[in-house]
Amino acid sequence: MTGALELHTEEKRDITLRVFRFNPQVDSKPYFDDYTIQIEKGITVLRSLNYIKEHVDASVSFRAFCQAGICGSCGMRINGISKLACTTQVWDELSKCREAGIIKIEPLRNMPLIKDLIVDMDPLVDKMKHYSNWIETRMPESEIGKKEFLVSEEEFRKYDKATDCILCASCVSECTILRAHKEYVSPAVLLKSYRMNVDTRDAIHDVRLGELVKDHGVWDCTHCYRCQETCVKHIPIMDAIHGIREDAIEVRGARDTSGAKHAEAFMEDIEKKGKLVEATLPIRTNGVAWTLQNLLPMAMKMIMKRRTPPPPPLVKPAKGMKKFRELFREMTEHVKAEQKSHKK
Amino acid sequence: MKRYAYYLSCINESMTKEVDRSIDLWQKDLGLEFVKLHESTCCGGSNLDYVSPKHFALVNGRNIALAEKLGLDLVVSCNTCLMTIRTAKKKLDESPELKQEVNELLKKEGLEYRGTSNVRHLLWVLAEDVGFEAIRQKVKVPLKNYRIAPFYGCHILRPSTVLGKDDPLEPSTLDMMIEALGGTTLPYEHKNRCCGFHTLLVAEEESLNVAAEALEEAIEIKADFIVTPCPLCHTVLDGYQAKALKHANIHSSIPVFHLSEMVGLALGYTEKQLGIKRHIVT
Amino acid sequence: MKPFDIVIVGGGGAGLYAAMEAMKTNPALNIAVLSKVYPNRSHTSAAQGGANAALANKAKDDTVELHIFDTIKGSDYLADQDAVEILCSEAPKIIRELDNIGTPWSRLDDNTIAQRPFGGAGRPRCCYCADKTGHTILQTLYEQCLKKGVYFFNEYFALQLSVKDSRMKGLIAMNIKTGKVEAFPARTVVFATGGYAKMYWNRSSNAAGNTGDGQAIAYRAGIPLKDMEFVQFHPTGLRKSGLLVTEGARGEGGYLVNAGGERFMSRYAPEKMELGPRDLVSRSIETEILQGRGFDSPAGKYVHLDLTHLGADLIMSRLPQIREMSMYFEGVDPIEEPIPVRPTAHYSMGGIDTDNFGRTVMEGVYAAGECACVSVHGANRLGGNSLLDILVFGRLAGRTAAEEARKFEPSQISQEEIKDTEASLRSYMQPSGHFERYGVLREELGQTLGMNVGIYREASKIRTGIEDLSALRERFRHVRVFDTSDVFNTNLLQVLELKNMLDLAETVASGALAREESRGSHTRTDFPVRDDEKWHKHTLATLEQDGMKLGEKPVSMGRYELQERTY
Repeated sequence: MTGALELHTEEKRDITLRVFRFNPQVDSKPYFDDYTIQIEKGITVLRSLNYIKEHVDASVSFRAFCQAGICGSCGMRINGISKLACTTQVWDELSKCREAGIIKIEPLRNMPLIKDLIVDMDPLVDKMKHYSNWIETRMPESEIGKKEFLVSEEEFRKYDKATDCILCASCVSECTILRAHKEYVSPAVLLKSYRMNVDTRDAIHDVRLGELVKDHGVWDCTHCYRCQETCVKHIPIMDAIHGIREDAIEVRGARDTSGAKHAEAFMEDIEKKGKLVEATLPIRTNGVAWTLQNLLPMAMKMIMKRRTPPPPPLVKPAKGMKKFRELFREMTEHVKAEQKSHKK
Repeated sequence: MKRYAYYLSCINESMTKEVDRSIDLWQKDLGLEFVKLHESTCCGGSNLDYVSPKHFALVNGRNIALAEKLGLDLVVSCNTCLMTIRTAKKKLDESPELKQEVNELLKKEGLEYRGTSNVRHLLWVLAEDVGFEAIRQKVKVPLKNYRIAPFYGCHILRPSTVLGKDDPLEPSTLDMMIEALGGTTLPYEHKNRCCGFHTLLVAEEESLNVAAEALEEAIEIKADFIVTPCPLCHTVLDGYQAKALKHANIHSSIPVFHLSEMVGLALGYTEKQLGIKRHIVT
Repeated sequence: MKPFDIVIVGGGGAGLYAAMEAMKTNPALNIAVLSKVYPNRSHTSAAQGGANAALANKAKDDTVELHIFDTIKGSDYLADQDAVEILCSEAPKIIRELDNIGTPWSRLDDNTIAQRPFGGAGRPRCCYCADKTGHTILQTLYEQCLKKGVYFFNEYFALQLSVKDSRMKGLIAMNIKTGKVEAFPARTVVFATGGYAKMYWNRSSNAAGNTGDGQAIAYRAGIPLKDMEFVQFHPTGLRKSGLLVTEGARGEGGYLVNAGGERFMSRYAPEKMELGPRDLVSRSIETEILQGRGFDSPAGKYVHLDLTHLGADLIMSRLPQIREMSMYFEGVDPIEEPIPVRPTAHYSMGGIDTDNFGRTVMEGVYAAGECACVSVHGANRLGGNSLLDILVFGRLAGRTAAEEARKFEPSQISQEEIKDTEASLRSYMQPSGHFERYGVLREELGQTLGMNVGIYREASKIRTGIEDLSALRERFRHVRVFDTSDVFNTNLLQVLELKNMLDLAETVASGALAREESRGSHTRTDFPVRDDEKWHKHTLATLEQDGMKLGEKPVSMGRYELQERTY
């Protein structure tokens, strides 16, 4: 037995945190403050911020609560990417700095700024309410608490990953479309909506879906996959978005909205020609009037440059199309047969 | 000579014909031969999958099977086609039942999906099979006077579970390509962002905002041009540029080149030969 | 302002259930929930294991009776047996209710709610949703509250009860977003603010905000706190953060190793080794460190939890969360290196003294959850009973407050009182006479509690701790809030939370000194055995004119006689 205490020391370095600052009471516009501190290996960004707050500048403001990656409070952009400060190791960020040794810390985007690294979460909560992100139970009031729903493990797995969401809003901050339009439903709310819609205990699937297919809803997603790539819980958010779209087409039909019509057009064209007939895609998605109004000026330019897609009769079908069409239609029969047996 | 099966993307057959035209010009210079798959069909974009997952698997299982029949990897030069076909491949490789169902139909056309051919982007083939060093040596007209903003587009990066070549948020392959061709690659915040193409027809205003932001930054950092490996991104950034910038009240413009055109320029072909004159912004 | 019928302080499991139940009991009531964080951030989300209920889905012979017995035995016979009976008999109903309103649960083959074995339970009765049960329960409750239109005041920090002539008139709180002090005149106030184990600071697995705000407010208003000396320690917390490394790591075959490279558990539990009961393993690690056989580092002393011999495959497939945590919070990959660990405070059994319906001694004031002490956990809480506690008693407190609210007259809170409160907050920002840094005081608070009122306790050490605490309270009078802004002044919040912890720490230390026995989580080296004759009773800490006074309260007994607690 050795009685001696072994002093364990870690590698240390001077590192600069370049922190976004804005106090609405005094600042007319935001600025950055640099804090250079000695940090040892194994320290998280949140602990570094805590150190700065306690020892260097008490006015640096940010949210933090559990400090263990489960409450979702400390979402912020670190070197440009939205993530949790409490689960991000400083050492891992060093290779991602634009300027060597300087870690840039900024608030989440796409939400109103309150102060420094703190943004307003209320718009997100309002959207959760707007899209009924809750279960309206099928259990009659008088039966509640008396018996369980029987739910298969298979069904549970459908919403298992989605319920990992801690509403840290990293996906909200990274969303392309939300940045382009603040009314957009947002990835977190789509994920939650999907989770509710696949739960058989819920009674308002159709109401929720009806809301999701409206403007600023599920069809506005541009599938850039940024939400999924930055999700701190590694939730396949795009699968949920696709799931809602699939559901929308199945339940409400392919001609329900411009988004659904657009998707259906691909199916039609592949069956007919094996190729997309791009020239008529706008008309089939949004109708003639929209197309004339929105695309005519550009179409003129394109004609000048001979960039216009060929009109339908001139779209050359893929070679061997006849045989392929047979396969395609046979698959349609498969799907129909399956749906029939499913309904039974 | 390295041989590949080459997938014909719908958009390159219609609106962005210059992509395949420029590849045709220089493929032999780099020791590459692309065999065009005239029987291939539209991949369904990112739409077919939720209209009918089964048809999605059939159509793209077939596209890959056509390459497998030739014993070649399938090369794609549109990001969304790449992502879509790779997604289908992943599904087929992970589900023996789906694979069997698809193969039973393909059999009638004398095809079989086995999962032996890889599905790769043109950029990856250039980077991995030709190599930056070899490319550097083949360059005739180095792009040394050009400051270039690399716009990767989404579907060559994300979802990383399907793509996985570059870091999904910190990519570098296109930057390295620019450097290999003698150009200067610019730090460009929007390089890993979205062009807005996929919402053009359902949420146009949003798309224009997205595009305008990417264009604005490229103009701000004084890039000579933007380069993209995706014809869809090109269609927005070039074709819709005037509309997007007008919408954002920006009075300026910036040319946008395809990856294949940039390679062609460095290999000594003229703008006219490469079809750059066909662009809306020149 | 129009008086509220009910103001609920805290938006975790207990607070949200109280809100939901109160609305159901009487939809006409005007109810507000105040929370210093968005409710979905609350610490309920950190509970991984599950909630106990004798559904008998897994073990068909499980009964409410067995659950009651396990709980009483686990409490080392300090729990009130009538309260435990309510806890356990309501359990199946409340779990089903949660299922009915959308909580996701893992499922058994027959599609019923899955249950698994848990420490101290004779049957597998812990209902779970993977390893995120608390998180999913909290999400469900928050969703349902949004659905019902519960009126939330998010990011409000509760400051004090307004009491005049021993009648409660409402709550005073600060709007964190504006810095304004606001009055919430109310007929009833329900405290559901969670535990106080964060006073051990980086020797605690708790969220930074588990600072006992509700207990401190109630205590300063003269409401007694019960059994505050009982704080549960978990054996393996991460060295730097105190965060938990769950028992699974040892379950899969991890070793505990000291600085001499020895698997020291062979000296404490030669047969069970690392899988001995929680309190024994905690005490063993503590002994190693105290006797100089641990490692030292700037972040404190520790031992190793070594998983390296298990191999990458097993660690990646069976313990992915533990690996992730070690990497996130220690920067250590357990495949390559041992994890630095030491015991960590993670649950407070004590709290605001309530009856079985959440009522406190002050009319109109209620408490529930970890913030309250009914008591159902006595001297030691069983795993899976904390989530259950917040659900059952959160609901009961909400119902009781809703039934009783209209009995109390509405009242107003004077502008003068608001102004005085505001002035007292601003005073922390005055440079003259204010020079102490809050971080230093908080660090010392955690240290002295850990050293003197931690796992091992003895009279002389606890006295040292009490002296330290009174010195810290004196220094706190000079603490300075350096951030002078109004909007989201987190520096001010930290100072106010520290004040709460300092006030409560005195009750913990004093209770520990008074209780001259060892029972459950409370281990006195100078009184190593349970002393039922002198100490089979609750302690009560009450703040009076001339300081804290300790009193006592009998334990309600029932069917179960006192027995020795052996496993």
